[in-house]
Amino acid sequence: MTNSQSKNWEAGNAENVTIKQIIRMRKKIYWTGPEELDNTPVFQEAINNEFSGEQTVDAFLGDERLCETSTGRRDFLKFMGFSLTSATLAACEAPVIKAIPYVNKPEEITPGVANYYASTYCDGMDYANILVKTREGRPIFIKSNGDHGIEGGALNARINASVLGLYDSARVAGPMKNGDKITWASADADLVSAIGQGGKVVLVTPTITGPASLRAIDAFKTKYAAEHIVFDSISYSAIRKANLADYGVNAIPQYNFAKAKTIVSVGADFLSTWLTSNLYTAQYAKSRKPENGAMARHYQFEANLSLTGSNADYRSAVKPSEYGTVVKAIFSKLLSKAGQSGVNASLDGLDAALIDKATNDLWSSKGNALVVCGSNDLNIQRTVNAINALLGNYAAGGTIDLTNPLNLGKGDEADLARLIAEMSSGSVGTVVLWDVNPVYHSHQGEAFKKALAKPATTVAISLYADETASNCKYILPGTHYLESWSDHSLLGSRVDLAQPVISPLYDSRQAQESLLRWTGVQSSFYDFLRETHGKDELTWNMGVHNGTFVSQPILTVDVVMSADAISVANAITATGSEWEIEFYQKTGIGSGTQANNPWLQELPDPVTKITWDNYATMSLLDVESNGLNKYIAQKDHASVIKLTVNGKEVELPVFPQPGQKQGTIGIALGYGRGANGELVGKAAYQTGTKGEHLTGADGTPISVGKNAFALLTAKENAVQYYATGISWEKTGATYPLASTQIHSTVMGRDGVVKETEIATFLSEKDKKRGEASFNKFVKLGVHQDINGDGKIDAQDALHVKEFDLWAPHPVEGVGHRWGMTIDLTSCTGCGACVTACHSENNVPVVGKDEVLVHRDMHWMRIDRFYSSDYSLERGEAEGVGVIASYGKMERPSDNPQTVHMPMMCQHCNHAPCETVCPVSATTHSNEGLNQMTYNRCIGTRYCANNCPYKVRRFNWFNYTAYSKFKNVNPAQDEISRMVLNPDVTVRTRGVMEKCSMCVQRIQGGKLEAKKAGMPVADGAIVSACAEACPTHAIQFGDLNDAKSKVQSISDNVRSYNALEEVGTQPNIYYLAKVRNMDSNSNEA
Amino acid sequence: MNLLKSVVYHHFTKLLSLSLVSIASVFSVSASIHEGGDAAAGEKLFKANCASCHRATDAVLAAPGLKGINERWKGKDDLLVQWIQNPQAAYATGDAYVKGMADKYVPNFGWMLGQAVSKEEIGHILTYVANYKDATPPAAGSASAGPDWYNWDEDSSKSESSGSLWWFLFIGILFLVIALSASGVRQSLNNAVLISEGKNPMPELTYTERLKAWMWNNKEFMGVLGFFVTCYIVTALYIAAMGVGVYEGYKPSQPIKFSHKLHAGKNKIDCQYCHHSAAKSKHAGIPSVNVCMNCHKGIKEGSSDVFTAEIQKIYDAIGFEPSTGAYIENYQEKPVAWNKVHVLPDHVYFSHEQHVTVGGLQCQNCHGPVETYTVGRISPVEDNNKVDLPGIIKLTKPTLTMGWCIECHNQASIDLAGSSYYEEIHRRLKDTEVGKRELRKYLEDDQFSVKELGGWECGKCHY
Repeated sequence: MTNSQSKNWEAGNAENVTIKQIIRMRKKIYWTGPEELDNTPVFQEAINNEFSGEQTVDAFLGDERLCETSTGRRDFLKFMGFSLTSATLAACEAPVIKAIPYVNKPEEITPGVANYYASTYCDGMDYANILVKTREGRPIFIKSNGDHGIEGGALNARINASVLGLYDSARVAGPMKNGDKITWASADADLVSAIGQGGKVVLVTPTITGPASLRAIDAFKTKYAAEHIVFDSISYSAIRKANLADYGVNAIPQYNFAKAKTIVSVGADFLSTWLTSNLYTAQYAKSRKPENGAMARHYQFEANLSLTGSNADYRSAVKPSEYGTVVKAIFSKLLSKAGQSGVNASLDGLDAALIDKATNDLWSSKGNALVVCGSNDLNIQRTVNAINALLGNYAAGGTIDLTNPLNLGKGDEADLARLIAEMSSGSVGTVVLWDVNPVYHSHQGEAFKKALAKPATTVAISLYADETASNCKYILPGTHYLESWSDHSLLGSRVDLAQPVISPLYDSRQAQESLLRWTGVQSSFYDFLRETHGKDELTWNMGVHNGTFVSQPILTVDVVMSADAISVANAITATGSEWEIEFYQKTGIGSGTQANNPWLQELPDPVTKITWDNYATMSLLDVESNGLNKYIAQKDHASVIKLTVNGKEVELPVFPQPGQKQGTIGIALGYGRGANGELVGKAAYQTGTKGEHLTGADGTPISVGKNAFALLTAKENAVQYYATGISWEKTGATYPLASTQIHSTVMGRDGVVKETEIATFLSEKDKKRGEASFNKFVKLGVHQDINGDGKIDAQDALHVKEFDLWAPHPVEGVGHRWGMTIDLTSCTGCGACVTACHSENNVPVVGKDEVLVHRDMHWMRIDRFYSSDYSLERGEAEGVGVIASYGKMERPSDNPQTVHMPMMCQHCNHAPCETVCPVSATTHSNEGLNQMTYNRCIGTRYCANNCPYKVRRFNWFNYTAYSKFKNVNPAQDEISRMVLNPDVTVRTRGVMEKCSMCVQRIQGGKLEAKKAGMPVADGAIVSACAEACPTHAIQFGDLNDAKSKVQSISDNVRSYNALEEVGTQPNIYYLAKVRNMDSNSNEA
Repeated sequence: MNLLKSVVYHHFTKLLSLSLVSIASVFSVSASIHEGGDAAAGEKLFKANCASCHRATDAVLAAPGLKGINERWKGKDDLLVQWIQNPQAAYATGDAYVKGMADKYVPNFGWMLGQAVSKEEIGHILTYVANYKDATPPAAGSASAGPDWYNWDEDSSKSESSGSLWWFLFIGILFLVIALSASGVRQSLNNAVLISEGKNPMPELTYTERLKAWMWNNKEFMGVLGFFVTCYIVTALYIAAMGVGVYEGYKPSQPIKFSHKLHAGKNKIDCQYCHHSAAKSKHAGIPSVNVCMNCHKGIKEGSSDVFTAEIQKIYDAIGFEPSTGAYIENYQEKPVAWNKVHVLPDHVYFSHEQHVTVGGLQCQNCHGPVETYTVGRISPVEDNNKVDLPGIIKLTKPTLTMGWCIECHNQASIDLAGSSYYEEIHRRLKDTEVGKRELRKYLEDDQFSVKELGGWECGKCHY
């Protein structure tokens, strides 16, 4: 190729783009990992072989052990014949099946009809107003309480998957004393006399927000003169202390990202784990609707490429020790705009231009700007307060509300440190630990564990005999949140209720009731709750129905920038070092309380796409220059390094992460649960190739990942989530990492992801679909004079839809045509849809070993594509040749842009899978669905080979029975299997499966409409993924309904079909991603 | 105001009843109502008005048994009439016997409703009660002794002509023995002839060799025979294979001998009274015991001890004491484990709601004349076709097979008018070019069949 050729293509009429031209004109290269970027042989193999890991015939016959087998050919045939005959005979005889109806049927239950109950999820970290779907009394699905929830009850993957935790067979089955079973009566008798003996009484809880729960705690405190200590697994104490120092309120304010026009986040992963991230995600999407014109612009300064950073418009990689410097620099620049000075900020090593740009944007959107910081350093948080005060963000209707603050994060590390000292000195007689796990979650875990041996009475009220509870004298099983009454109050303005939706599965009692018993109150906690709130019957019933009471805001706070703000900012000190670690939480695992949840373990990390592990992320350049393995694949394992952090050593595999700041390492918290073999759940431990738990030399099972909480340190009693002065060395060992994204590549096709900048979009937003420069229909040239200009030339092209091999399915305009729209601008990649799909559709969990060989079963996956910031135009401008430009486009940028793209069966109206099925097991419905009929499928897998989207999944094993999956698949546990949705078939071995667009919900919704004699209302039928999406990026509906949301969205100028040029005519429409970037920075 | 009202009302009713009684006493001849009534008319009246709570014996049902009522009420005719017509008013008279009785039964069973029977009719009833002879219960232990709705063995096909099969076998073996010995005799004779003719006798052949020789000699016959045997085997295999998964007539025994024939047939209880979720859920449901108790709280006895014992099984499940008519406190319920009759594979999603509520199908269309069956069963398609009810769709494939389902989906038509759901579907068909083409195809037979609107698509039932 030469430059002149390239110019010719560019000069071609831009209105008629052919596939060829598109391929040639592609401006960005999307790549899924360094493997694809560098096109390694392993990657090439993965591309060509979707179902890798199979043994060839030659390899099988070449196996020498084959000759040693004692089964002869004749014996084999005899066995075959016998099994065939017995199978036939068995098939002829139907088993007798018992049907056991209720003796006394509860009035509200009709077998086969789901009931929904409003409730509240609060584990001290995550908070959501939810609706619980129950079938015949079994909760099976969690969805948002859209009508009465805060931010529409937006939830995330962790909350969605929490229903599985209810059915964990590893939960403590009954009260225990020194490892022996006892009765509740004897436990109560023991404790009433023991509490208070031999020293002071301390109650440790996570942040408790409910008025009734707090009243129960108060009763306990009064009776035993007890001290109440709050311990949160993740600390936000610096934010509280900063607000106390600056504004006299010990509170975390309510942030409103929906009102923000400029968002600057310094190390705060607010779309994934920071504070109430699920609510922020919903707000964030609201402020970033390109159709509304002014999108919020999002700047992110961080070390790891977080989920939030991957969504930012502008992102700059900085070391965690530099967060203070960034905040200080922003403050200094803003001050100078306000005509003040005094902050001595240095911009050494920072992206000064970007900080300038961010500051300008902040200043111009005063009152609607928002600066947040993930640091747990008091001075940094006070400076952030000063910035927000300077910008006027606290004003009424602004982005920060201190008058109605968040009731979360009340823990103070100083209290726990004091408790450890007091326990060690012997002054504490009784410790009651309610749902807290400081041995694991505290950086002083070891010290806590040692000190726990001192008090005469140690009581753990816990679901599991976990790291902390197993060191206590008494383990009293608490109830799962779906089993008990409770109240919560995220905001002072409202009280949310949690109600039991199932009787306790085990001999357990909720913590509040235990406290009441020990204080001499015999009534149930329900009565206590009623009494606390004192509502009349009607108000109470409405409250239970809605899941919430609304009361009034409680605080008045006068916010002015603190007088000593400048000296506070100048007091920010942090010494960087050559290597630093930033500790973060993963979207799925969070702080690790649900590390035993197989749905969450198998949920790929939104950025790395790795399942079942934590690891050390390092920048590509660091990995390369240190000779570590850059390509992670099935047979290409990650290099293991040994890190020395604060005198502690830990070995972790290295994952090369684009966007990672050079000289930093990212390590996820929340792994390494039950490292001493505590019973924290089957899925928290690594499994071997036969499904057995792997054990160490001393026989204890090996946990999934390593515990990074132990590596943390505190600064002035505030835990710091980064470490400096660390060192590491290569060990020479390797370790397999199971990633879901290496086989699902874009294969160089550019019709997969489309994006543009806001200015381009706004100038073209009134164009018709398929005409905008960033989203053109794919046309094919024909030998016909289409435009009637008398000659056949390149202008004579037809939309790819006009080219058909087969007669079209009569679905457009006829009957229903179910479809989905997915807005790539709103999608943050959070993964809530993935767990919702797992939960709704009984998607099997397969475990790390199977994911490693690319046999993951997710019906819904989120593809994460990085892009290079080099383009042909830039190459041209810089005078680089086309070939060299392509070469540069394939080089990674240090700080790539990211696109998250949910991908599931596209329900093509011209489905390539349907035409190749030899047994018609996959067919097209007259409602536009690509149907998969398991009972017809014989497992030829032709369909999967022919699917251009690679969304079909094959059942390689009988996941519900084969012992390899006994420790990962919930369907194999006689209790956990109760979570299965009875409306969806549990698939067996040898059949294909894929997204059904929740056909069971479609059938149910149509039936409701038919019964009512009304057309299906838009929004009456929602797929599980759309229901779970906190940003409403996924919409579901009837494309043939002219008034439906999906119909109007699919007509949008941004709307396109993935791989349109293939001509599959999907019923899923994507909306091109719009970035709020200046158009000159990275032209589309 | 309310007080005044109630006082006025009280007095009014009292006056009214008194005047009624006095009018009645004026018109009635002095003869006691206990005598001279018409027992036949009384039986009718008793069954229509009294039998749901009272027995003519001394058994307590939901109220005391009436046996001996004449002796108990002797000389209190008017009070008795008042008691029957307006119990509370009779109670208000303060009569000691009435008061004692009311205090005994009202707390358990509540007040009797005032009955709309005249004094004369009461007389007929009392005569019937007085002359009532307790029917001799059917011999205990014999189910077949009862009326035919208790015939548990009905329709059970006699093990068909197994005797003749044995006869055929016996005759076959006999023929074989005869044939073999005859051939042996023949060979001996042949050898004897050969020896007598001075020739060498034929070598001694085994039976197998002789059979082979015979078959070789009768090649044509063997060929034809082989052809027919092969045809027979293939046909038999085909028929057997087609029967796999067909469970027509499957009629498992049940833990409680419940008779559909009695409940749905004789007593005409609607199917959906017990299987009430058929209209609102995918499952028709097996009634929970509390539904049985709606009636069986009162109906405590069967026509014989055998059936009373069956009813007792309900009480054992839920914890009810028939003698006191009260539920046992803190009873550990014992669920009834029925044997499932209609079993669909796990990958089939069938909705009763869709077919009953939306489709408006009669239960008998798929389940056959259940009201003529004692034990629930998979009704054979021939029996279903015999049901004489309007709108029954006649089918040919065996019940509960997929062929049967889709056969019906091909025949059943949908009325697009009257439901705006279907009207919307119809409108979309009329409004688009593709739709119009489809519509013409659909209407070739002048109806919209379920199939045409997607009823033959896999994903409608399998997901």
